[in-house]
Amino acid sequence: MKLITKFIFIYLIVTVIVLGIGGYLSYFIIKGEVDKEMKWRFMDRIDRVTYLLEQGKSFKLEKMQDPEGRNLIVRPLPHVVEPEINFKDTLVWHDRLQQMETNLKVSAFRTVEDTSYYISTHGALVESDDITEAVTQILLWILGMQLIGAIGLGFIIPGRLFKPFRETLDRIKNFSIQNKQPIRAKETNVEEFNDLNHFVEEMTRKAVADYINLKEFAENASHELQTPLAITQGKLELLTETDLSPEQYKYVEASQRSIKKLSRLSESLALLTKIENHEFTNKDKVNFTKLITESTRAFEEFIMLNGLEVNTDLEEGVTLNIHPVLADIMWTNLFQNAIKHNIENGQIDITLTNEQLKITNTGQELEVDPDKLFGRFKKAEQGMASIGLGLSIIQRIVDQNDYTISYENDGKWHSITIRF
Amino acid sequence: MKLLIIEDNEELLQNIRTYLKREGYICEFAQNYREAFDKVMSYTYDVVLIDIMIPGGSGLQVLRELRSVNPQAGTIIISAKNALDDKVKGLELGADDYITKPFQLPELHARIKAVNRRNQRDGQEILNINEIAIDTDSMEVTIDDSIVDLTPKEYDLLLYFASNKNRVLSKQTIAEHLWGDYVDHLTNLDFVYQHIKNLRKKLESAGAQNYIESVYGIGYKFKVPRQV
Repeated sequence: MKLITKFIFIYLIVTVIVLGIGGYLSYFIIKGEVDKEMKWRFMDRIDRVTYLLEQGKSFKLEKMQDPEGRNLIVRPLPHVVEPEINFKDTLVWHDRLQQMETNLKVSAFRTVEDTSYYISTHGALVESDDITEAVTQILLWILGMQLIGAIGLGFIIPGRLFKPFRETLDRIKNFSIQNKQPIRAKETNVEEFNDLNHFVEEMTRKAVADYINLKEFAENASHELQTPLAITQGKLELLTETDLSPEQYKYVEASQRSIKKLSRLSESLALLTKIENHEFTNKDKVNFTKLITESTRAFEEFIMLNGLEVNTDLEEGVTLNIHPVLADIMWTNLFQNAIKHNIENGQIDITLTNEQLKITNTGQELEVDPDKLFGRFKKAEQGMASIGLGLSIIQRIVDQNDYTISYENDGKWHSITIRF
Repeated sequence: MKLLIIEDNEELLQNIRTYLKREGYICEFAQNYREAFDKVMSYTYDVVLIDIMIPGGSGLQVLRELRSVNPQAGTIIISAKNALDDKVKGLELGADDYITKPFQLPELHARIKAVNRRNQRDGQEILNINEIAIDTDSMEVTIDDSIVDLTPKEYDLLLYFASNKNRVLSKQTIAEHLWGDYVDHLTNLDFVYQHIKNLRKKLESAGAQNYIESVYGIGYKFKVPRQV
């Protein structure tokens, strides 16, 4: 539900409640006023009759009509009573309407020159039904106009009033951290939108700064690490040129292997960071069939020397839209994994279609949770020479290109499927 | 051969100098942009090694200037960044080769030799080791005037040995030289042995001496008695 729809909805509910209460109150106020007015008018009439009596005018006994044709009863009483006035609602037969109508009856006792008179008059009250009807009608008109107003606002508010908000939203949507451009706040005359815009600017500025820092850190860390490693490596090489015993040679060799591993580790981490920082975004058409064919040829020696059998079933001309470097890294990692974790005289099956790439290899039975294999530094066998970043790298590349990856294990058979 | 090494790190510089001096090179060095600029402008070198990150400027700038005054000099960029754009930029500016830290000194040496060979067109293109002659132009190896039929990998291996005579080369070093990044994740290096065995067999059957010596099971050495 749109904010404005919701707002109008709430507004209308409140309006209905307010109008309901207002109608209820209006009814009583109007009725009170009308009744009061009538009372005053009747009392006025009684006062006038009293005045006429004082002037010596005589009224016909019993029932009579006053000049304006209104009901009036003036009756002299045999004894003197205290002046008094009474109001009463009565039902009176209405000839024309053929029904009983609620009437207000005002009766009074007045004394004029030692004679007391009973004066009474009555008239039809404004019916409560009529008031209700009138009030309801008024309220419905008001409600109708409110509705039209609210809907009108519903058109105006999103169009005009929310324009800065929608603009900000659009700019957030189009924000890309790689452009390293924070979203600049645009001044509007609405305080809330200004607050929002400034907040967005502040936030994106910080995000961009953090991103640049992180990027620099990843690059610098990698760089700073490689130089000391290069130094150590060189020193060890110089050491091998001196007169070393076989045992000492072995130590040197082991050290060199560790250095190599460390250097690979930092390279892989730097690569992961780069992928995560979305540095490889320039996609291009990559022919996977060709990539796989060429790389299996490059690995031919390793395959042969490891006594492996490679079966390929590749659909012709499978082309994906991916950064060429990432395509290469992804495939090389997958394939190397299949070689590395294989067994003697094992087998590797590769199938490639336009929908998916599946690589199946023989290997040791898996002892760890397959889901964990994609985490960093997770290895099937602890202490293996690999560093355990291969699958994380593959996973990152897969994520970034909106592919899905799954792993299946059936005893000695391991297969990884990437769906494009 | 005269070399200029532009590298700001003292220790690394020393490693390279020590290693290359033993090969009989004249090594000069520069540790910052100013020094590098002065030397490049004042003298000529056969090969210049350039670190991209140097104090006071960029190695790429030095490369640009070197190219303008002395286009014949061979150049190798040394960088810790294996960032692709750096590599591409360096090669576009006319560097002959590119090596990333940490590198192996024998590898660096082999590349210096290769770059030098390529750039000295008029110079000697035949590498002679006693009875073995390696023609780096046609990539042919002859022993006593008869051609030895080697696979490209075996040729590469022999050339690598020839560039690093009398040094112990570990299996790892050899594997990386021959297959580069592909060996990165492989732990079984037995295939190096296979290639050595084949090369040795071919050389010996063509009448050469056995120059390739195993060293304690960790590596190999191409042993050539120094000719005095």
